[in-house]
Amino acid sequence: MDSPIIPVVVVVLILLSYRLVHRIFVRRLAQDDRLNLRPLPGFDVLKTQIGRAIESGSQMHITLGQASLHGPASPASIAAINMLGHLAEEGCMNDAPPLVTVGEATVLLAAQGKLRHSFEAVNRPEGYKPWLVHFVAHQTEPYAYAAGVSGIIHQDKITGNVMMGQFGTELMLIAEAAQRRDMSQVIGTDDPTAMALATAVTPNSLIGEELFVAAAYLDKTPEQIANLRIQDIVRLFIMLGILVWAVIQFVTNL
Amino acid sequence: MKQIIPFVIAIATGLLTLIGLLTGTAVVNIILEGAAFLAALALLIGIINLFIVHAHRLVTKRNIYSLFLLASMVAVLFLGFTDGNQEIGLTEAFNWVQRPLEAALASLLAFFLVGAILRMARQRGDRWTSLFLFTVILILLTSALASLRFVPDSISTGATQVRQIIDSLFVTAGMRGLLIGVALGTIMLSLRVLVGLERPYNK
Repeated sequence: MDSPIIPVVVVVLILLSYRLVHRIFVRRLAQDDRLNLRPLPGFDVLKTQIGRAIESGSQMHITLGQASLHGPASPASIAAINMLGHLAEEGCMNDAPPLVTVGEATVLLAAQGKLRHSFEAVNRPEGYKPWLVHFVAHQTEPYAYAAGVSGIIHQDKITGNVMMGQFGTELMLIAEAAQRRDMSQVIGTDDPTAMALATAVTPNSLIGEELFVAAAYLDKTPEQIANLRIQDIVRLFIMLGILVWAVIQFVTNL
Repeated sequence: MKQIIPFVIAIATGLLTLIGLLTGTAVVNIILEGAAFLAALALLIGIINLFIVHAHRLVTKRNIYSLFLLASMVAVLFLGFTDGNQEIGLTEAFNWVQRPLEAALASLLAFFLVGAILRMARQRGDRWTSLFLFTVILILLTSALASLRFVPDSISTGATQVRQIIDSLFVTAGMRGLLIGVALGTIMLSLRVLVGLERPYNK
């Protein structure tokens, strides 16, 4: 007889184990000065883009994609919103807050909250204005979204273009608009087709799971790098599991 | 306190939803329906945001495109009110304005992609760019040889086989690797949100 208790217990054990392993890694990393991370050019360019926007008195444009926060692709939007939080503080402190565009209404509210928190974190709550975050079009209208974002890129005083979240082929329209203004671009998405387009447009693209590790690369705190280390270990187990399973299947089918 | 309340709500809702999905209880339906209702409310807020942003741009920057957008919003809203249940005006506006514009934008994708590839070849002359260009040419060539009528059958079949090998070995393997990586990142991020290590709703 299937008991619903067993899956619940398994899930609770997984969550508690994650928390425990995370704490162990944080303690170890706090004592270790060597925080070796594989270099990802996209994150290095992100930091320079902020500085460039501040120096030129313009804004960095960040667009957060079209995945809703209650759908299956919500982690991409959550990762993008977290990245917004890490990028926005320096700009908010120096009177150059990012211009944020979103393609989904739930992401709008989360992005507004994140930007407001960024202003509060640098003791400038009066700097937040609702029109710093634009809702462009709903997720059912990707080309309307791309057209709206392209229009903003063409019309406003923007130095760099950052695209993080879920995008489809309409990414090409936005990237081309930024390319025509000679902007440096950083693109991170979870869609394989969009990833392929991103690599053609810019060398600073975040492939696959790199979108989800932004906090570790931008913050470099032991807590965030511990998350990255756990992810690396789980990836290793998955790789070994796939290899072992492939060998077993090969041997049994001989 | 300002940070604790959203934290508690987020963790409790997440755990309740997860346990509800695992056990099949009715509480998960209530939570998901609530989420759908909030998403609809968020859409209304998004439309208001769109109106406010472009009204602000019109007033402060005299942006003509914002004027067109606001006029379009009002016009479609008017059509929606006058149509009632029939949606004739809205359907006509969609078929005669939006669809052709979307088709035009979609048709630009191929040209932009070719332009991006040429720019990549000019600006980034590394081995990966060469591999990218070689792959593009190979795919186009095999597709053309497989589908053109005047090509002998032996060449056409050979081209189809080459294309299948590329698809099944390299493309499928690469796509699966990417998707496994994305799935891993998604799962780990979701775990971090559930245990409170990642807080997109807080500082």
